Amino acid sequence: MNKLLLVIERDVRIFFQYKFLIIMRAIWFVSQIALFGLIASRMINLREVPDYFRYYVGGLSVMTLYSAAVFIGFDLYEEAEHGVFEYLLSLPVSRQQLVLGRSIGGGLRSFIYVGPLIAVSLYVIGAINPISFLISLFALFLFAFGVSGMSITIAVIIKSSDRFDILMGVLDALIVRLSTAMYPLAIVQASSPLYGGIANFNPVTYAADLFRWGTGIETIITSQNPLMPLLGIIAFFGFFTFVGVVIYDKRIEGGGWQ
Amino acid sequence: MAPIIRIESLTKKFGNLIAVDHLNLEVEEGEILGLLGPNGAGKTTAILMVATVMRPTEGTAYVGEYDIRKQPDRVRGLLGIAFQEPKMLWVSTPWDVVNWHAKVCGLSTEERKRRVKEVLNALDMWEPRRKNVHALSGGMRKRVEIAKVLIQRPKIAIVDEPTSQIDVVGKHRIWNMLLELREEGSTIILATNELYEADQLSDRVGIMHKGKLLVRDTPKKLKDSILGGDIVEIQLEKDAPVKIVEELKGLKEVVDVTQVKPTSLRLYLNRVEEVVPRIMNLFTKKNIPVTSIRMSEPSLDDVFAHYTGLTIEQAQKDSE
Repeated sequence: MNKLLLVIERDVRIFFQYKFLIIMRAIWFVSQIALFGLIASRMINLREVPDYFRYYVGGLSVMTLYSAAVFIGFDLYEEAEHGVFEYLLSLPVSRQQLVLGRSIGGGLRSFIYVGPLIAVSLYVIGAINPISFLISLFALFLFAFGVSGMSITIAVIIKSSDRFDILMGVLDALIVRLSTAMYPLAIVQASSPLYGGIANFNPVTYAADLFRWGTGIETIITSQNPLMPLLGIIAFFGFFTFVGVVIYDKRIEGGGWQ
Repeated sequence: MAPIIRIESLTKKFGNLIAVDHLNLEVEEGEILGLLGPNGAGKTTAILMVATVMRPTEGTAYVGEYDIRKQPDRVRGLLGIAFQEPKMLWVSTPWDVVNWHAKVCGLSTEERKRRVKEVLNALDMWEPRRKNVHALSGGMRKRVEIAKVLIQRPKIAIVDEPTSQIDVVGKHRIWNMLLELREEGSTIILATNELYEADQLSDRVGIMHKGKLLVRDTPKKLKDSILGGDIVEIQLEKDAPVKIVEELKGLKEVVDVTQVKPTSLRLYLNRVEEVVPRIMNLFTKKNIPVTSIRMSEPSLDDVFAHYTGLTIEQAQKDSE
């Protein structure tokens, strides 16, 4: 347990040493709200979306969490390049502790990073419902761990960092665009039943819906029953954390990371 | 006593390349075993397999009583490695690197703080401990890498070219620290391509070339194994009689005698320290005054050349 915590601690510490990345991401987040959110909300005047700005802030929080959690995969390539991967594999830490710790560490650090940004945004838009907010926070925790696990799993399968970068870009485009992060499910479904179907089974949709439910942002247009997205997120977290452990273990133990 | 490491037919193939070829080796508890060979000889690959970082293609090794294939977690609990290339992210500081390493290796808070300070101080790395790794020279990064093992004090320490990129003073300091580590009970595997380093530190040396272990023994026995490897040059006051040259050739340790000048002889022989007193007696009996005598032993370079037919530099070029 102690070693698992140390692996988590390491990933959290390292993330906050990338000061440039952190500052740039924060600027990106603020400008998305202050520029895109404010301007785009003036264009959107739909019955289903009474206040797009509030809706967008909720979705943007989940998108930022997603992109921060994905970063752990890039860390793996950085570590492979500097040989740190070999070092980690030589430590008196079991492979399971290592991958689980990294998955949790990757999720936790993104949560720590995005947390204050989300808190400030919620304060600005004045939307807090304490109990459901805590439930949604828990769900976002699991979501972030699941995304980290997914990123680690993909990174150890794909050996080239360039390919990983491109794939994650494409995946980001698909997984975020085919979700309710930026537009309500009814609108997605109206544009294409296929899109709606995919968006219905998308972890980003689950996270965005739960977050909006928890924070009380536009409950009319999001899920009224949090159970379905909560189960979806638990399944996503479980799959990528534990499947990730198995794949990671197989790939690295055989020297497949080289 | 059973060896602390037993390597049995350990092999690693990368496609058609055989990086380590059926390596068999035993490491005794408490010894410093030097693995000597040029870059590309297979030393690092062998080490990575023993450390369970890389899975062997064939064969296995037992570390303590644990099989590297079946109980890798247990194996890692006994080992500490200082890698050839320092393994650290550029955003980290020496303090972050060694402090976290000490924690993960299970040192108590008090012990960790004491040892980290002690070792970083000894390696002249206490002052720059908060600098980012990217601001450090190659030699400084190498010191941080070796500091990890010196702080950890594992049962088995593996050090891969521990003093490459380090200045002469630093080299001697690290050598002393490695000897102290051994005194404190660690077994050390020293992989190096520096012959002098292997000679100075190792109780036994194994010579690797092209993935194979060619020979292993104490440095002295390896040097003695070269027939006529010791050279004795004798300067006489008067011309050396033919008879004495014949008598010298008759000694069983003497492989050859050359008369460089009428008053100067060069002897190629083995076990110089045993033979020289007998040679001196011979000259005294024959009443031939000796004005000077100079002895030189073969180096590990000669040993390497003897077993591979190449100098270590040539072997290095061959593998590039």
